[in-house]
Amino acid sequence: MNIYKNMPNKHFFAIIIATGIFASCGDHKKDETKDEIVEAVDTVKNSVLNVGGELFSVPSPIQTALLIQKSGIPYDKSTLNASNKVNTFSTDFTRSLNLGIYGADLGYVSLYNQTQDALGYLAAVKQLADKLGISAAFDASMMERIQKNVTNKDSMMVLVGIAYRSSDAFLKSNQRNDVSSLVLTGGWIESMHFSVTAYKSKPTNDVKYRIAEQKLALNSLIKILGNNPSKEVVDLTAQFADLSKVYEGISFKYNFVEPTTDTLKKITIINSTTEVFISDEQIKLISQKIQEIRNKIVNATQS
Amino acid sequence: MKKFIFLLSFVALSLSFNKLNAQCDTIANICAKHIISTFVSDGQQYRALLLNSEETAEFHSTFFGETTYRIAACSGTSDGNLIFNIYDQDRHLLFTNRTQKNAPYWDFKVKSTLETIIEGQLDGNRNPGSGCAVILIGFKQK
Repeated sequence: MNIYKNMPNKHFFAIIIATGIFASCGDHKKDETKDEIVEAVDTVKNSVLNVGGELFSVPSPIQTALLIQKSGIPYDKSTLNASNKVNTFSTDFTRSLNLGIYGADLGYVSLYNQTQDALGYLAAVKQLADKLGISAAFDASMMERIQKNVTNKDSMMVLVGIAYRSSDAFLKSNQRNDVSSLVLTGGWIESMHFSVTAYKSKPTNDVKYRIAEQKLALNSLIKILGNNPSKEVVDLTAQFADLSKVYEGISFKYNFVEPTTDTLKKITIINSTTEVFISDEQIKLISQKIQEIRNKIVNATQS
Repeated sequence: MKKFIFLLSFVALSLSFNKLNAQCDTIANICAKHIISTFVSDGQQYRALLLNSEETAEFHSTFFGETTYRIAACSGTSDGNLIFNIYDQDRHLLFTNRTQKNAPYWDFKVKSTLETIIEGQLDGNRNPGSGCAVILIGFKQK
């Protein structure tokens, strides 16, 4: 089967032809009609291509949690957003953000093999998705698989990643980019919270550099959120823009080295190196701003 | 008449949009098979409608050090329809599957964190015309 046979060009041309037939029947201004159709095509195209035709990548919170665990930092439940607060989130804005936060927390507790806590966060994710009217985004069979594998750390990591990817796809397909971008934002904020909290308890270079290396992700989030005109998102974006000013002072020295590819193993080793320059003061400022932003999200009851 | 034409266009485009999304979902499901269970998904699905083989979809992504990534790139219902290129921040080409028989997935062992540009393009030789491009990312710690 050739999928291209069914692609939208066929419809596009049908519309153009239909439009041409109708256009010839009247005495309206052709240029204006054309503009409207082009606009409609752009609307459809942009909803597939996300924001203004650009795609954005935000690092997985699980990846940060893995680094923290690898750094020898012990499990600390008190740093997480309590899983019993679902009912305190009263708007889609706070629910979407906290869905992202709970997803990151689910990854974190699973990584540390905290079965009971994992079940609590899984329930919180389900409840929030229901309240947002997107329960289909978290496929029932997938949730069941997660529940069955809750004692298996490795399976949990993989399944949580798949569940969030599926929900991301569902939200994008159903033109709920507003929710999708806030879920990503919530996950990112929580992963930053993991990092800055871990750095306070055990300052390692790995964690420090990982905080600095979020510069691109932050800029991507600002662009993603910038597409949403609602007041609460505009306010959140402004807070991110403030945080971005701190990041502007962090510098990187990149040194390109030719990569090596092993065709048989289907792997390329990227040999380039990057040096990171971040001061303690910058880490302190980032920590403060992350805590301010996160506190507003996890303690939101009215907003 | 003008409103009618606009409405007709909108309805037709909405229908094609729904169909396109369904096709993207199918492609994504096929593509997900390349992110095997030793890799954790980054939780996102990167999809773009490409109108022809001249058009490219690109996004910026940070590859963290001490990590192995798997990138899967698909379009259509068979492997090898999507060309994907990975560049560093200075546009040095790090990898292209064009020289690897359009391999639908590839692994990247990253020594030190770097910012990358991932670019997807339909292979005009295999399928001229438009298509939904899907790129997925998985990772595992060293």
